[in-house]
Amino acid sequence: MARGTSAEAEPVLDIHDIQGNILTAFNKDHQRLIALRLRSVPDARQWLRRILPHINSLAEVNHFNNSYRMQRARLGHAPRGLTATWMNLAFSRDGIAKLTSDADADLLPDDAFRAGLAKRAPLLGDPAPPGGGDPTVNWLVGGTNRPIDIFMILASDDDAALRSMAERLRPGQQDGAAAPETVWEEQGDARDDLPGHEHFGFKDGISQPGVRGLLSNRPKVYLTARHLKRPPPGTIEFAKPGQPLIWPGHFVLGYPFGDRDNGSRQDAVPLARSWFRNGSFLVFRRLEQNVAAFAAFVATEAARLSRLPGFSGITPNHLGALMVGRWPSGAPISRAPGEDNADLAQDPLSNNDFLFTIDTPPPQFLPGHGKGVGNFLRAMEGTNGPICPHAGHIFKVNPRDHTTNIGPDFDTLTRRILRRGIPFGPSLDKPLASDDGVSRGLHFICYQASITEQFERLQQDWANNDDAPKAGGHDLIIGQTATAVRSMVLPSIVPDQAGDTITAPLQWVTPTGGGYFFAPSIPAIRDVIGAG
Amino acid sequence: MKIALFDPPGNNDDFAGNPALAAKWSAQMSATFDDGVKRVNDALATSGGGTSQFYNPVTHGLTGPDVTPASAGDITWNGFPRKFLGAGPGASANFAAAEAPVVSGQAREQDEYLEWHVTRNAAGKIASVQFTCEGYDYYEFLGAEEPAVLVALYQKFIDPAVKKADLFSGGKYQRLNKWNTRDGAMHLTQSANALSAEVFLAADATVRRKNAAGTEVTSPIPLTICAQFGDERRNSDPTIGAGVNSFARQNRMITLANPVGLYIDQLDEAGFQLPDGMPTTGWFKVLRGSAGHPLRAVFAPPAGSAFTVSDVKIGGVAVTFGGQIAQHITMKLTGVASIATPVHNPLVACAGPSVVASVAASATEGPATRRGV
Repeated sequence: MARGTSAEAEPVLDIHDIQGNILTAFNKDHQRLIALRLRSVPDARQWLRRILPHINSLAEVNHFNNSYRMQRARLGHAPRGLTATWMNLAFSRDGIAKLTSDADADLLPDDAFRAGLAKRAPLLGDPAPPGGGDPTVNWLVGGTNRPIDIFMILASDDDAALRSMAERLRPGQQDGAAAPETVWEEQGDARDDLPGHEHFGFKDGISQPGVRGLLSNRPKVYLTARHLKRPPPGTIEFAKPGQPLIWPGHFVLGYPFGDRDNGSRQDAVPLARSWFRNGSFLVFRRLEQNVAAFAAFVATEAARLSRLPGFSGITPNHLGALMVGRWPSGAPISRAPGEDNADLAQDPLSNNDFLFTIDTPPPQFLPGHGKGVGNFLRAMEGTNGPICPHAGHIFKVNPRDHTTNIGPDFDTLTRRILRRGIPFGPSLDKPLASDDGVSRGLHFICYQASITEQFERLQQDWANNDDAPKAGGHDLIIGQTATAVRSMVLPSIVPDQAGDTITAPLQWVTPTGGGYFFAPSIPAIRDVIGAG
Repeated sequence: MKIALFDPPGNNDDFAGNPALAAKWSAQMSATFDDGVKRVNDALATSGGGTSQFYNPVTHGLTGPDVTPASAGDITWNGFPRKFLGAGPGASANFAAAEAPVVSGQAREQDEYLEWHVTRNAAGKIASVQFTCEGYDYYEFLGAEEPAVLVALYQKFIDPAVKKADLFSGGKYQRLNKWNTRDGAMHLTQSANALSAEVFLAADATVRRKNAAGTEVTSPIPLTICAQFGDERRNSDPTIGAGVNSFARQNRMITLANPVGLYIDQLDEAGFQLPDGMPTTGWFKVLRGSAGHPLRAVFAPPAGSAFTVSDVKIGGVAVTFGGQIAQHITMKLTGVASIATPVHNPLVACAGPSVVASVAASATEGPATRRGV
């Protein structure tokens, strides 16, 4: 089959059926998560029927996001007063089984989903409690002792509106005496001091794939706007610099997917039940971050490295950038190898535009596009080892054009996920002083068509593996291993000098909750899960 | 890198007390490396000539510094054959096809330099899974030069009942004998799973290639197709080729680390769980090779265990095929690259079908390539 995908027709997405957070993000400053446990199927269905009209679709969220973007572009700043509050739902395997049947739940096409996160946690390297055993036993939510049947995501630009919606939609007495029980609830908020940054201080969420697909039968009304000319055959097509286009079947069931060798469109995988169509698998992980320990490690290790010829003058910020692959601002070290560059970080047409293995060619914009793109250093192939270390976090979870242990760049596209996370907990004012004992971290959420082949591959096969996707150590940010000390090979930052290896005695990111879920289509919730 | 001799794969002790045999093996490997250099020079000649960036570390070893750290040369890939993966999100791998039984004369279709053999007990449960990553040409060498060593290896690792007559026909070693197919896996059988194929792949991948438009080809699969150094549908070939080629683009001189071989890098047992909730500690044992260079391993219950391999669950999913374990094995080879040199070779046009045909034709009687003999 010929390589290349650009000339192949993209499917029309069922935008009124697909839940809104999957293919286009809620992208709100406030996001509240509610975990529910079923007590009575009839009462659960009664509650579902009540809240069904409040489940927001792709059409609604996309429409709002487009309005927001247009106003921001026209005004030059974020529009004031334009707010929305959204809600989406997802169900665990047991939740689906209770509301449909065991048979249906076990026909959903994902080993990881069917097993559930509690059983998969060891596979992900989640640390066991002292004395060993089930890693999830002490989790705050999810895991063996606190299972979740239904997972609600509510999000808003307005904190008060969000809390009000939670009050209205949370199951209550009006839904029956045995309505679903709220077993856990927690709100995440964008940081006041560093909006868009996670708690270690790095800008998050810059790199997201572009999903192929049309919003209507009218031609060229794409879900993901196109800014670039189509590339030569055999190469990956990008929507904008650094944003590859990926077939929707990798995120929503029932749509064409991309061939792992050449990216060409493949017909959708047949589904055992028609109501699976337009659904997506959701991963939730409550990841607690030990900010003080991370800051102390980076400071201590940078001081040690700075005495080596290969790392003369390295700062804690620079070491952190090598560990992440981006500076705290979000500027990629591939385009800012020596120091942070805030202008680069803020340029959406440049801050994700880089490859790892070759000198990155300049983007070829469509006529009328690319206005205002900055003139920054192009990403170059390293001559002294990789500029972005192979164990750098952004390399680990998206090796871009690099071949990996499981395939070429087109295969890597099939591993991508749609991230929808947000920090929780207050910022730590003085990370180098000491830990304050307050729980903070990231509500990690992502959508994909296969948890086994997407999220789990990134975590288990790449972040946790010192020799994959390329040899070079563990991902010291999110990598986990119970059997080895985590280490990372650092190429020198001074030419012609030796590199070094850093080892991390501690894990600074610890899972404290989570679950695997299926986010069905809105009609499936109405006609199958909530019916009867 | 400069070395005096090519050591046996995995630094195994097959040549112990037999320096003449060790010298013969080194000479055979050296000749294979020379063939690799010739392939490169032949390719460069089509673009006006140049300096081979692939070198024989015995006859033309380099004493200058190599890129550091040494692990920078490790090239890794997953051991489960890519062609048996499920087609599309959520589709299961075809584990049954990946380990379809073979009989004498048949090679396995496991083409990632890792092959395995599953043994089952009377109840049909998996008793053990034996893994090997040894190239068959090494065993053909032993068969030709020291048959007794070859037979002893079979008796040690496959079955004490193995007889020389089972392995030889007309005085020639039969690599697809019953003990290496139906009844076991002593070494790799797939036609492309040879050490010579590894050497040629590395050599060919040092040639920088250009497409019809004159643009340098760097992406793994297009490069594999362009240079014809392997099968683009494997995990290993595009990965190895692209890794080596990236060194070549940095103007480095390249060879393979001694001892030359393909190795089991690691089995990730995270999530492997027994019915009593315990991990499978001690179940995976390296049987042959040396530290950092495992050639042979087995996954089986330790003595006294009440469980079989079939009782193991990986992430909550019961093991019913050896391939489920192979999916958690990382393979590796190690390249050695010098620091950047002034060598700057011309780009060479993609190899055409006629070149592929001639290589394949010559390979039927000579050393194997990754596109098959």
